[in-house]
Amino acid sequence: MTTAAEFVAVSRHFGDFTAVDSLDLAIREGALTTLLGPSGCGKTTSLRMLAGYIEPSAGKIMIGGKDHTDAPPEKRDLGMVFQSYALFPHMTVAGNVGFGLKLRKVPRAERARRVAEALELVGLGHLGDRRPKALSGGQQQRVALARAIAIRPRLLLLDEPLSNLDARLRVQMRGEIRRIQAETGLTVVLVTHDQEEALEMSDHMVVMNAGRVMQQGAPDELFPAPANRFVAEFLGYENFLTLPERGLVTVRPELLTVAPGDVGGGETAVSATVRSIAYRGVEVRVALDATTGAGGATTPLVASLRGDALTPEDRAALHPGGRVTVSARPDHLVSLAG
Amino acid sequence: MKRSSPVAASLAVLGYLVMIVPILFVVATAFTEGETLRFPPEGLSLRWFDEATSYQPFTDALLSSLQLALLATVLALAVGIPATLAIMRGRLPGRSLVEGLFLSPLILPELVVGLALFQQLMLQLELDNFQALLIGHTALLLPYAVRVTGASLVLADPALEEAARGLGASPLRTFFTVTLPVLRPGIISAALLSFVTSFNNVPISLLLQSRDFRTLPVTMLDYVQQNYTPIIAAMSTLLLAATVVLAVVAERILGFARIFGGINR
Repeated sequence: MTTAAEFVAVSRHFGDFTAVDSLDLAIREGALTTLLGPSGCGKTTSLRMLAGYIEPSAGKIMIGGKDHTDAPPEKRDLGMVFQSYALFPHMTVAGNVGFGLKLRKVPRAERARRVAEALELVGLGHLGDRRPKALSGGQQQRVALARAIAIRPRLLLLDEPLSNLDARLRVQMRGEIRRIQAETGLTVVLVTHDQEEALEMSDHMVVMNAGRVMQQGAPDELFPAPANRFVAEFLGYENFLTLPERGLVTVRPELLTVAPGDVGGGETAVSATVRSIAYRGVEVRVALDATTGAGGATTPLVASLRGDALTPEDRAALHPGGRVTVSARPDHLVSLAG
Repeated sequence: MKRSSPVAASLAVLGYLVMIVPILFVVATAFTEGETLRFPPEGLSLRWFDEATSYQPFTDALLSSLQLALLATVLALAVGIPATLAIMRGRLPGRSLVEGLFLSPLILPELVVGLALFQQLMLQLELDNFQALLIGHTALLLPYAVRVTGASLVLADPALEEAARGLGASPLRTFFTVTLPVLRPGIISAALLSFVTSFNNVPISLLLQSRDFRTLPVTMLDYVQQNYTPIIAAMSTLLLAATVVLAVVAERILGFARIFGGINR
């Protein structure tokens, strides 16, 4: 594995606020890496430090094996797509896409060819003469992508690129960006707060909180095995309970079994009271209060059941106040670090 | 647009009447055939327009005013635009102080500014009165240049400049290829406002005038104090016509919304 860029003990402070706290992170060549986290976690600050728009307070930014910590953005050769797209309003689409090539003194004929090629890649081959404001949001986003790709950057940086699109287009663009990445072989760093987007798009995902990396790995390694409560919550886990022998564990709602009756708890079964039920067609979501402590202390749990798998006895027990037993297979419980 | 109440509408009409009707009287008297500024005009003729345009103190002063307004506008923009960028985009220590400094001519009584410049520039430094006027007018226009271009800079997406840098443009190149074109409507509106402000200025021009270089408003003021002929109405009407033409042309080219919105989108 080759490293395209690397953060070496990078910190950034804004006054008393530590946005990024001694970040060590390698960006793998040719892969799509996402920085995922809630707002204020330091993901955008990290991306902007990589691009050269923010200076690190400490540490080094390596690009292509060389120290670029003090290099201005124009000396880094990176393609960036901004959240606002930042298309130049006084230039045509082709003018926008060709801007970086003009600065690189690419001859006119080759420039035209590469602009057309980049626009073709994002599916806008026919719109070169338009002004950006005459395009839809989704089209503007593609122009911003084409502009960043046209310079054949060492890395393509995407700052929340899909957050301004409507839901349907957003899902479609996830696939588009993956396709473009595969076709160009570009190294991509994408910043997002949407865990679904990160899971679907990443080769490697980095979950950040309070300026630190909480956990990183491939989506299919990371999702089933969150390392701590923060990562678990951020990935959408809802059930957290402390078991006498295993400490803090989490389990996904669809991996819980709910049976009628008040059975004494073993390691993986607890008795619970039904709080509320929500029918969602295929899925039936049951909110429960599980008795976990000695003195009758309860922990809220959510179970997601298959509606068509419920027996008449199950249905009879599933009403607010009903007593049930909740159980899970031991290997479905994930132990968390806290 | 929402419908205004009858009270607001009547007030608006009243406001226009108060502003426009006196001007119409001036315009009407300019076309008189008689010798005095009187309404209604006695007969109809263009003779006072002939007189106004061939009266040498006026024509000299008009050229002086145009020259001064043009140079002061260019200087104010040349200083004001970089200053605005530094205040708003740079990491300037004490930026509110600097901004206050650039806006202060807006608040200071112009007569005081004029007097101070007269004492310091003309008496102390012995600059000639054109140089003193140019400095005085430039200072007078700076707040307009800074405020109007600043207003459009607030609306401009800072990521535009970052995008240009990221694509390989140096800061200077970014300024000329992205910042200036994006701010163009704001700059044009600042230029128009500055030009008109300088052209109409009396207090500073009055204190810094000399026999060789005197602006049109000062010359006209001087004239009115001694004579009361329709030539002054004719000259005023010509100025009014020129302003209207300028406004119409600006509206045709850019549209008022864009001039006063001040941003290229």
